Formats: sequence, structure tokens, C-alpha cells
Amino acid sequence: MRVMVLVKADKKSEAGVLPDEKLLTEMGKFNEELVKAGIMLEGEGLHPSSKSARVRFSGDKRTVIDGPFAETKELVAGYWIWKVKSLQEAIDWAKRCPNPTGAEGEIEIRPIFEVGDLGEGFTPELKEQEQRLRAQIEAQRS
Amino acid sequence: MMLMIPKGYEKATPGTSPDAAAVARMMKYNESLQKAGVLLALDGLHPPSMGARVSFPGGKPKVTDGPFTEAKEVLGGYWMIQVGSKEEAIQWASRVPASENEVIEVRQVQELSDFPPEVQKVAAGFPDMQRRGS
Repeated sequence: MRVMVLVKADKKSEAGVLPDEKLLTEMGKFNEELVKAGIMLEGEGLHPSSKSARVRFSGDKRTVIDGPFAETKELVAGYWIWKVKSLQEAIDWAKRCPNPTGAEGEIEIRPIFEVGDLGEGFTPELKEQEQRLRAQIEAQRS
Repeated sequence: MMLMIPKGYEKATPGTSPDAAAVARMMKYNESLQKAGVLLALDGLHPPSMGARVSFPGGKPKVTDGPFTEAKEVLGGYWMIQVGSKEEAIQWASRVPASENEVIEVRQVQELSDFPPEVQKVAAGFPDMQRRGS
């Protein structure tokens, strides 16, 4: 299974404070272990919400709201995509992660929908389209 | 990165999945992103009731199983897109076939060049680690 591992924001990350050399070094080590174990598929950090925007939907209307957004602890500061055998394996890896903010940090682990998880609504035609999309994305990346 | 935040998903039961019509609409939109050559990655996430959180009170990891009762906003999925500007990303976000309970958050990904030289030095190996296993 694949999981998305969300590193939650805090006051510091939202203020645009960059991680110090110690945390970066520890995180680099952790990433190295993830890659060596074949766990890590992707990982990125996100700029604070002050540089971001939200689009809200109401019928045909679209409202754009510029950041920053208030619910700091609910915001995402960065993420990984991991390939694991179980949620428990992902939890075990997350526990080994250096405290991502250095203070009261939180990591959320969410299983990703695989094609087989979508039930009968995901028709063979939609499955075929999905596979074609993924193949094209892969081709465009390289 | 475009983050899909569906209101109410924080309470969804395990195994909840979108209906066929919604998936078909979304696939059409995904196809338009793909045709425009901006789509890098996309995924949907199972509800938080199937996930877990690890927090670090006092530096020690503590595991909480989902659902997360205090959560007001949770992620339902994401698209990673390559665009020229925030405005372009907002235009794409406005075209998502979303419903009233959904919000799309547009967030810029940090590139190594966004950091000062001393940080770039320590994080130099990072780009090499990304997307290795995919």
C-alpha cells in the first residue's frame, strides 16, 4: 500500500522560519534510511500558507481567498509518499522521524486510494483512463 | 500543489469512497490537466478514520488512531502541478469540478534554490532522494 505522510505546520513553519542545520542533518539521515529501505517514493516541503491561496466553491461561483490561513495546526508544511506493507509499518517509520518542528510536532499518515479501492463505480473505462493518465505522467516526467 | 479539502470528510467512516459520477467528472478534469502537460502526480486519500497520527509531546512519539475528533479540516487528495505562476495554479483550481463542501488550497512547493546557501549545502542530497522509488 501507499500512504501519504503529512507533516503538520506550526507557528514557526507558518512564519517562514527555516529548519536549522541540526534538524536538516537529522532529517537528511532519516530520508536516507527511508530511501535505502525502499520506502520513500516522494517528498516535498511547502511554502507557508501566507504565499498560498484557496479556491472556495459555491454552485458555479468560485471565490479566491489569499493566505495566510488561520488553522495553523491543520495546515500541511510538507509531505512524503511512502510504500509500506501496512499502516503499522508506516507508524513505526513515523515514530523514528526526527521531531519535524523541534517542538510539539505532528505527523498524519493517510492510506492512498488504489484503483482496487474505488468499488464498482470505478468502471473498466475509468480504470483504463486512469492507467493511461499515470503512464503519460510518468513519460512526461522523465 | 493543489490540496483538496472536503468538509465532512473528517467524520467519514472507513471504506467511504466517491460515487461513480463524481469520479467520472474528476477524471475528465484530470485528463485536461494531463493534456495541458501540467500534471506531475495525483492521489486520493482514504478517510482519516483509516489513518493515524504521530505527535511528539516532550519529544516522544505518541500514536493516535483516526478518526481525529478535533480535526476541522482534513485532506481528501492532491494534485502536483507544474505551472508558471500562482495565478495559473488558481485558474486550474477554479476549474476543479468541486462541490460546495470542498475547498482547494494552492501551495507552492519549496525548491532547493528557495533556501539560503548554508541550508542548500546540508540539503544537497534531497533532490536525489525524491521520486527514486516511483
